[in-house]
Amino acid sequence: MSSTEQGTSSAAPAEPTTAPESAAAPEVPESFYYVHGKDKVVHKVSAGALQHSALIHGMISNLGYTEEQAKANPFPFENIDGDILQMVVDWCNQHKGKPTPPEDTNLPKQKEKLFDLVLAVNYLEIKELLTYCCKQVAMMVKGKSPEEIREIWMIPTDAEDEAAEKEAKKRAGKEAAGETAAAAGDAK
Amino acid sequence: MQLFKYPHLVQNEILNHTEFSDLFMLSFVSNKMKKLIKSSSQMQRFRSVNTIRYNHRSARTYVCIPFHYFHDNILKIVKRDDSKNDYFQLNVSGKIVDFSISYKHKKYFPVAFHQPDGFKSLIESIHNYLLDFFGDSVEFYWEAHNYKKPIPQLENLTALLHLRHGLTESDILDMTRFENFISSSPVLKCIDSDILNVPAPMSPESKFYQAEYIETWQPEPTLPAILRYFQGRQAFLKWWKCDTQNVIEFVNKWKSGEAFHKLEHLKIKNYENEFPQNEILDAIGAQHIDHAKKPPTHILPKIYFDIAFQKEAHTDPITSYTYVVRRTDNRVASVSIDGGIFSFGVWDKTEEEFLRIVE
Repeated sequence: MSSTEQGTSSAAPAEPTTAPESAAAPEVPESFYYVHGKDKVVHKVSAGALQHSALIHGMISNLGYTEEQAKANPFPFENIDGDILQMVVDWCNQHKGKPTPPEDTNLPKQKEKLFDLVLAVNYLEIKELLTYCCKQVAMMVKGKSPEEIREIWMIPTDAEDEAAEKEAKKRAGKEAAGETAAAAGDAK
Repeated sequence: MQLFKYPHLVQNEILNHTEFSDLFMLSFVSNKMKKLIKSSSQMQRFRSVNTIRYNHRSARTYVCIPFHYFHDNILKIVKRDDSKNDYFQLNVSGKIVDFSISYKHKKYFPVAFHQPDGFKSLIESIHNYLLDFFGDSVEFYWEAHNYKKPIPQLENLTALLHLRHGLTESDILDMTRFENFISSSPVLKCIDSDILNVPAPMSPESKFYQAEYIETWQPEPTLPAILRYFQGRQAFLKWWKCDTQNVIEFVNKWKSGEAFHKLEHLKIKNYENEFPQNEILDAIGAQHIDHAKKPPTHILPKIYFDIAFQKEAHTDPITSYTYVVRRTDNRVASVSIDGGIFSFGVWDKTEEEFLRIVE
């Protein structure tokens, strides 16, 4: 149901596929919106699929864009990598108008991709997908020792935490001293 | 993937999908991690559970959380196996303990190892760790499935004995060892046992009779003589043969205020014979509620209830027209005799108060 275009947001997206006509009454044609990530690749997504994202749904619900307006104003998500946004769009399309299954086995297995996907999904407020992703992240530490968990989730040791805390305190002290000096300078 | 780089909400969601046994391991990763678990909604998850159990069998002890229909094991404690070498060490409340990860019944869980003489100190360390982790938000139960080792005396720990003993003729209860187990353990909250081969009476002063709840299946009503010496609150006795005199003696002792001061509910099920209803009611001087009225129903929450494997959280209801009155404080007990079942439910009401609630 979606098409992806390489290039900028100004590139012309493919026409949406039309819904099959009902014998009883003609169905209202589905509206489409356009989104792009950091890579500027524009994804055409139906409003139905975008309902999964509370953030986007909130943005589009009162817009009343025409097809042309929507095409001309893709939603930019510069904080999301293109391939991650593609995954999100695919997931929203696959689960459009369907009840979500209890498990989703199509999530990325690579740690870094999953990490980015979690951040994107959290930002876009896609509740069900966030649940799947978090389950997958939790599964990573199943049956692992504390040291293995530390490696997988990159959790600092107590010593590292203490050093970071000291460093943060030192930095805060310096900044406070700088502000005091600047304020004194201003007063003069 | 840095867990701490996630927003707090996401961290919570991840921990919410992490199994309890993994959370236990996770709590050892760093102080910050432990703090995160403690501050997260995980603690709500634990609080809703409310109970942690040590299931102690002869060669192993499981630390588990009871849920409906199962006990979720979060840790197993066993004697160290020197043929293994995949140990990792963790500091458990100041004690360095060998651990490994086990996979059984499609589930991973950590295993803590003790030296042959180090069981007690390991249990103390683990219990202290759990106490520190959960605070006083959960109840701790120790359920012994044999009487080899006394139940340890640990802070905030409730002791239970679940004994399926004497299933064969040769399996005779070792009285000395059993009495030693009972006397060295904390006072038991619950004893649930099938004691078929008890060779001798127990001492009337045995802490056995101080258990708050006793449920036994026993061929001889007097071995053990629970009906004579019980000092707890609720009991369910399953007898193979009837002892009418014992029942009469029990009620008269209760009426005189001589014993059974804490008793709330007693049920005896006789498998072989029926209780002679009229004989017992006459002998105990039972009083009768007017048959035109409706007697109240006696029911209480059970002293101990395992959410995983027990269906009923309350004592069996007693609705009876017959009752007796304790002379010392005028308290009432409903008495019901129905075939092979004798039920006795003590009301926290005087006779006047009791009769006022009769409709």
